[in-house]
Amino acid sequence: MKYEHCIRCTICVENCPVFRVNPEFPGPKQAGPDAQRFRNGREKSAEEWVLLCSQCKRCEMACPCGVEPAQIILRAQQRYGLEHPHTAAHLLFANNYYLSTLGSITAPLANRFAATKIGKKIFRRMGIATYIPFPKFSFKTLRGEKKARSREARKVAFFYGCFINFYRPDIGRKIIRMLQSFKIDVVLPPQWCCGLPALGNGNAALARSFARKNVASLSNYIDAGYDVVYTCTSCGLCLLHDYQGILEIPEAKKIAENSFDLYEYVLKLITEREIKPNFREVNRVLAYHIPCHLRALKIGYPAADVIKLIPGLQCRILDDACCGLNGSYGFKKINEATAVQLGRRAVSLIQKTGAEAIVADCGSCRMQLSGLSGMDAFDPVEIICESLGIKGKK
Amino acid sequence: MSVIEYDVIVIGAGVAGLTAGSWLSGQGLKVALVTTGEPTACLSTGCIDVCAQNDDPLQGIAHLPAEHPFHLVSNATIHQALNDFQQIMTDMGMSYTGGLGKNRRILSAIGTFKTTCLTPSTMQTSPQNENEKIHIITFTGLKDFYPGYIISRFPNASFSIYNAGVPTTMGIAANFEDDTFLEAFILWLEKQNIREDKIAFPAVLGLESAMSVKERIEHRLERPIFEIPTIPPSMPGRRLFNGLKDHFRRKGGVIYWGWPVAGVEKTGRQIEAVIAESRGRPNSLNARAFILATGSFVGGGLWAKRDTIMEKVFNLPVFVPGGQEVWFDQDYFSVNHGIGETGIAVDSSFRPKGCPWDNIFVCGAILAHTEALKNGCGHGFAIATAQAAAQCCLEHIR
Repeated sequence: MKYEHCIRCTICVENCPVFRVNPEFPGPKQAGPDAQRFRNGREKSAEEWVLLCSQCKRCEMACPCGVEPAQIILRAQQRYGLEHPHTAAHLLFANNYYLSTLGSITAPLANRFAATKIGKKIFRRMGIATYIPFPKFSFKTLRGEKKARSREARKVAFFYGCFINFYRPDIGRKIIRMLQSFKIDVVLPPQWCCGLPALGNGNAALARSFARKNVASLSNYIDAGYDVVYTCTSCGLCLLHDYQGILEIPEAKKIAENSFDLYEYVLKLITEREIKPNFREVNRVLAYHIPCHLRALKIGYPAADVIKLIPGLQCRILDDACCGLNGSYGFKKINEATAVQLGRRAVSLIQKTGAEAIVADCGSCRMQLSGLSGMDAFDPVEIICESLGIKGKK
Repeated sequence: MSVIEYDVIVIGAGVAGLTAGSWLSGQGLKVALVTTGEPTACLSTGCIDVCAQNDDPLQGIAHLPAEHPFHLVSNATIHQALNDFQQIMTDMGMSYTGGLGKNRRILSAIGTFKTTCLTPSTMQTSPQNENEKIHIITFTGLKDFYPGYIISRFPNASFSIYNAGVPTTMGIAANFEDDTFLEAFILWLEKQNIREDKIAFPAVLGLESAMSVKERIEHRLERPIFEIPTIPPSMPGRRLFNGLKDHFRRKGGVIYWGWPVAGVEKTGRQIEAVIAESRGRPNSLNARAFILATGSFVGGGLWAKRDTIMEKVFNLPVFVPGGQEVWFDQDYFSVNHGIGETGIAVDSSFRPKGCPWDNIFVCGAILAHTEALKNGCGHGFAIATAQAAAQCCLEHIR
């Protein structure tokens, strides 16, 4: 943590979406490097406001001096989490993986309950916001997908993440079909939640236990010659940065060296002329909302580069606005107002472009933006599959 | 190895880097821009200082010392570059007033005047002398702006305070983007019975829609209003950055955020690629030419140690004016600190002198002998040298 490098220029504050709309949050400069000077191990943490940080990492991307305010705040959040009782919402979202496992087993029931008035009332009682509908659990998770036998030379271990597994396995299947159409062997290694929801809800120990299991599992596949491919940008950020950083997982560097964002991987194969996808015309006008954590991965915007290859497609890139949901952040009632205001702003920027639909890599961004705008929000793979003529099965 | 091959990689997202990047993209090249973070332009007043040494900026440039890099740019290019800039900002909805014929003055937050060349249109009607009758609006709890400083110098000035609900520049500016807030504010303003000719605001009149906020208040109050730039967070500086950045992207440019260059790949007299810090695989980008626009010390292009000064990306030879005894003047507020001359000395094609590689071009505040503070050549200098260096870069590539 290079908090001494802060020159107090306030560029991080200008970039903080939460600070823009919530006066309760003192901003990344004060909550990060400024307050860090006064934090010590001897006193109990009294700064409840650190929980208002949404961990979008925009401050880190903006800082000209290499200070990592979000990282400093993340550590302060863990400290606060250790020393104070967790609210019901924090507990639930930290354990989102187990909750979702339960939810998908009882999918028809759970979905119906979540949509009822009484269900919503109970959620609100527990401090959970209901301004956009919950994502629907899918009874048939991606995990249960049978592996197709193939003997391709290029092998990929797909880290699909909870969102795809529990809520949108259809997108996961499309990704598999797309990779298979490029003559790539896809396997679904045993995997758990990446740990980010636990970390974001102040439970580093739980995050660490998820991380250890994932690293052990993925490591085996890497040794066997597989490339790890992730599609959720937040999972990716956690695998690549937090495992080595705050979670201090041994062997995490090996995972980081061998993991690719899905579109980064596809783009790499296209540029190295390993694959030649036959993109057919798609007549759509799209607004590509860049998820904050894709920015934070520092790999550019590979999905945008792939989509640009599709003839007939018009795609405007928007990376100035955070959608405001930030995974479980916006689903907590204390953050609801912040999330809604930020979401409305992002939606108004999208609507100004005149686009007919939204594209975003991140499931939670899509949920927020389509929930607030009523527009369709696609994963890039849906557009690519449309162009390649690949139809997914439900 | 890198995934994508670019024609040009620009290092630095400041006014110079974005101008050079946009110009090259406009010529049909494939351009990427890499940057550690956001530039010092965000901290600036948003005004375009060309040369403040003379009422006529071009005259001022003519009288600069012979080694000043402004002399490497022809007057025609300076004209062209600033015209292009004004056109870009008009297209982006943030027009600029003024021209190269004559410098203008704008009122500063401490009641003094700042000489500059182009100003955001929100500062167009800034007073030209202390006797003008102005009414200053400030906001409850806003720590970064004290009308008292101005009133102590302006005998005909008065002020009132509005409670915007938040005490910060960012928060107030975000509120002004909201129609209901703006309407309530205008109703309050109408009730103040302001008799002065002009109304002054700290620069908080919105972020994206500053121009329309200004027009709406002017229309209702039936008199000119203007913004006074404040200390950071500076809205006019951010509007400038946003405008240039969005324009670069519209031209097809790609930006890599949080991408500090940690190493380079080279063969013979060519730089092949720049490499970023990474926790995993080496993250590198290839290009045929590189534009270095990383700025001076605050921008992060130059790094001072106790006895040496280094250029951080390519470790280029740095011109340093003598030993440490001449780096600093006795007077802290002096504009004559010798260190202002530090930077990269370049030849007439903006290639660094004594550099072992042929495909690097340098522009903006990192150039040696600039002395931005003393000569009052800030963003205007960056814009002009960026366009000139970009032209040299294009010639090199073709």
